[in-house]
Amino acid sequence: MMTHGREPMALPPSGLRERVLEASLGARAAGHPVPEAAEISAAEAFSRAAEAFYGLLDALGDEDWRMPVLRDLDVQGLVGHLIGVEDHVHRCLSGDPEVAGANHIDSTQPAAACQAGRPCEQTRIEWRRAAERTIELVRAFGDPGTEVAVHGMRLPLRALLVVRAFELWTHDNDIRRAARLPSSVPDASTLALMTGLAARLLPYAAARAGLEEPVNVHLVLTGPGGGTWDLALGADPPDPASVCIVTDAVGFCRLVANRVAPADLDLHVTGDSCCAAKVLAAAATLALD
Amino acid sequence: MPATLSQACLDGSVIAPAAPERCLGASRHVSVPSVGGTDALQAARLAAGDNHALAEVFDCLGPAVYGAALRVLGEGTAAQDVVQDVFVELWSHPGRYDPTAGNLRTYLIVLARHRAVDVVRSDLRRIARQERHHRLTPGQPHLSPCEEVTAAAVARVVRDAVRLLPDSQRRVVELAYFEGLTYREVALAAGIPEGTAKSRLRLALAKLESVLDRQLLETP
Repeated sequence: MMTHGREPMALPPSGLRERVLEASLGARAAGHPVPEAAEISAAEAFSRAAEAFYGLLDALGDEDWRMPVLRDLDVQGLVGHLIGVEDHVHRCLSGDPEVAGANHIDSTQPAAACQAGRPCEQTRIEWRRAAERTIELVRAFGDPGTEVAVHGMRLPLRALLVVRAFELWTHDNDIRRAARLPSSVPDASTLALMTGLAARLLPYAAARAGLEEPVNVHLVLTGPGGGTWDLALGADPPDPASVCIVTDAVGFCRLVANRVAPADLDLHVTGDSCCAAKVLAAAATLALD
Repeated sequence: MPATLSQACLDGSVIAPAAPERCLGASRHVSVPSVGGTDALQAARLAAGDNHALAEVFDCLGPAVYGAALRVLGEGTAAQDVVQDVFVELWSHPGRYDPTAGNLRTYLIVLARHRAVDVVRSDLRRIARQERHHRLTPGQPHLSPCEEVTAAAVARVVRDAVRLLPDSQRRVVELAYFEGLTYREVALAAGIPEGTAKSRLRLALAKLESVLDRQLLETP
């Protein structure tokens, strides 16, 4: 291979920087990752997440279903919780207003508790049917942009489906962690929907978390399913602070799911690191457990 | 609800209000490291569409890339075009840079040199075409002073390269290209069969191409 010594530098003429950046961004707009993940619908993302979750349940042995996973739930109880969630989604899609303000954990606790003592196979099949019912109802529902309300969220159906895919992936990994199985990563198309939703929700998470000082966040999520977002957080500022946060897309999703602490992420921050810490802590509040 | 995005407000629509569940107090502060970017990180940022990373790479490596282009071309305007091409290429196809194969600086400098050599080659072809045209159509205007300087510089490099050829090959190149003889005339002048003249020319041109590529890429 040809070797090259240290190339002498020459001061680029004034204006070259601007010209180069303009030409580059003209060739490819900022924010768009390459390669770009194939676009899929939110319904497809949910369907894939459900399929992956079912595949994991199918691979578990009977003794695995008794492993403690989350809160006071074993695997069977956690699947029961998800059956309860699907039931509430069905009611939401059928227009039942009672589920709009229901607490996600408390309201599904009976569904989780009633699984105790049942054959695992029965729980697994029941969850499968519930997920398939969700897919059927979504197909019949029509416009995925229509707002729906469930468990304290009011959001377009397509966003709810991404939230559900997010939750299934997270619990999939909860079980894997308990069973000492390797963690799973969503496909790039599903991950792109998850990161896009989480990034768009960051300003609301910051507001809910009480982050008052204005800050412009340049969020860069690397790897498949990633991208770049410029987000204005806090009150409308005359002179906001700026911070650039770079981390990988899967790690950021784990943070948003409250499954990893910001300090444990592979992070690269420029700007006000104290401010970045607050933003990341706010991101973790998007999860409710 | 683990991993559930709560109280969302999407697509501009307002959603159910909720009291802040967690306030960011000092006790919730987490520290984050501030880490300088490696080439692999810069490549990952570029792939993620991070325009800040592009600006950072230009600020850091732009002078070296411009210097590399200037060294081959000797002229600022063309060197600027090369710099633009190099960075547009990096931004459009960041995956073509493999951090495990070498550093970003070397990658961009090599890219700049290759682009600059392409520019020189293109100029050479254009000048050769013009020369031929002038020979065939006397009375046409001559090359511009700038083109004459470039042509003279290139001619010097080519003559130096020809001197390195074995005698038999150098002779046929001189007859064909410097004296403008046809294959048949070269064969007669050198006292060799026409087929031999052709094969010697082919060999000579292959060697010249390799030597000239190296010279243009590595001129001190």
